Amino acid sequence: MSGRFSGATLAKSALAVAILGVLIVLPLAVFLAHSFYRMEDREIVRAFSFANYAELASNPAYRSVFVQTLWLALQVTFINTVVGWIVARAMWRRRQRLHFALILAVAVPLLLSYVIKIYAVRMFLGVNGLLNSTLTSLGIIDEPLGFLLFNMAAVRITLCVVLLPYSILPIFLTLERVPSRLVQAAEDLGASATQVFWTVLFPLALPGTAMATTLTFVFAAGDFLIPELVGGPNGFTLGRLIFTQFGLAYNWPFGAALAVLLVVVTLTAVVLGQRLAQPRWQRQNA
Amino acid sequence: MRPISWVLAGVTLVAFIAMYLPVLVVALLSFFWVRRGVVQWESFSFDAFAALAANADLTGVLTNSILIAAAASLLSVAVAAILALLVASRMPRAVVALVEFMVFLPFVLPPIVTGLSLLIAFREVGLARGLAAVTVGHVVVVLAVVYSTIINRLRALSPTLVAASADLGANGWQTFRFVVLPQMSSALVAAGVLAFALSLDETVVTLFLVGDSSTLPIRLYSLMRVGISAEVNALATLVIGFTTVVAIFAGRALLQHNPHEGNNA
Repeated sequence: MSGRFSGATLAKSALAVAILGVLIVLPLAVFLAHSFYRMEDREIVRAFSFANYAELASNPAYRSVFVQTLWLALQVTFINTVVGWIVARAMWRRRQRLHFALILAVAVPLLLSYVIKIYAVRMFLGVNGLLNSTLTSLGIIDEPLGFLLFNMAAVRITLCVVLLPYSILPIFLTLERVPSRLVQAAEDLGASATQVFWTVLFPLALPGTAMATTLTFVFAAGDFLIPELVGGPNGFTLGRLIFTQFGLAYNWPFGAALAVLLVVVTLTAVVLGQRLAQPRWQRQNA
Repeated sequence: MRPISWVLAGVTLVAFIAMYLPVLVVALLSFFWVRRGVVQWESFSFDAFAALAANADLTGVLTNSILIAAAASLLSVAVAAILALLVASRMPRAVVALVEFMVFLPFVLPPIVTGLSLLIAFREVGLARGLAAVTVGHVVVVLAVVYSTIINRLRALSPTLVAASADLGANGWQTFRFVVLPQMSSALVAAGVLAFALSLDETVVTLFLVGDSSTLPIRLYSLMRVGISAEVNALATLVIGFTTVVAIFAGRALLQHNPHEGNNA
């Protein structure tokens, strides 16, 4: 392609870039700039400094929230990827009618209102929730279990339940695209179900697995509604810390710096996910 | 069955129970009372739904949500269609890459980042928090999905159709109006419906931009913070029922369309 573009092409390119620049890039740039400002007497002081980042790095309280959030997101990602694989594998190679019903069975919880899903899980886990009252009335426990709600465990459980469709669906959809003749060939050659899984299905469904882990991790690391609604005082996460800075704490510049940290974590996860999606033997062929 | 198969089947069962049981409990509790873990089957009533219908406040909030969703889906389809048409009209590859990178940014970043960056930017330009700000926010949030729906259709269009139209003497506008637009109209509708559904449920970005107004998810969020009531259960049940019905119809439509589109490709 030559380096010379017609005036029309140039105008069209400029228009497309301008629309997105105003709508998407400019707000992000303004947000990034704010992370270098600071707060004085509830006014934003527009003087460039690394003070917010220095505070982040030096204050052990923020460090521990950051580590806690990463650990939480990794746990949720691991649990859901394993469960997602098990469910997707169980759904795979079913009869046509059942096939549609199964996809629908995963799609409905996926499409369901986010807040309502949290509400439902919270009701289920709460002291007056169904799990506790059932256990009490069955005589399994005497007192309602308080530890089910308003702590980090509740955040972990709720994240796992709410995010589960995001790991089942991508894995299942790539499993479906694995050519059945490859599986049949392996079976004809005498491979056991375990061998078929590890040598054929798992490597070929890596892109879906990468998609599932990335989606789950990014969501779990950045979410604040679930920690806010089921976490109580102990279930504090990075997302919640950021949200506080824009509400009660009212320190937008510091909140912006915290959010930049979240962006860095997110982009790292996305890049790692893309490398996982294309294992080395595929990259060399490309 | 080997023991391992039992374990795998058990995990699958638990996964589906975890996804459905809490939601079903909410639906159940909107019709019945529960006392000490036992559902009181004789307590069946529509009282919670009647209370919901009588709640004028919630009706207003629902109206806000629908207005925002309608505006955001129209705007996002318009913006995404312009972008897709520009991208499809032989732009330099580097510009296409840049445009698609920018479109997908809000899709990749956590919604909290999109929310607070719009909040900060809107304050810089003097756009007050409220329903208009939320609408713009929703356009940004759904743009990636809407754009990819439309561009996929445009890329699947055969270039020979456009060439044939030009050969027959049509000018650029006529080719667009009579050849390209009819072929992309169903993608525009699908993208619009998708945007509407996503906007209706958007919570995080909305929470940053809504100010003193409210939308349905925001009202649910604040009701949840206060506590649990029969009215909230009833509202949740309606949303659950609506989502299920929409999912079944959308699934049917998609599956019926698939073989047809497969032949075209």
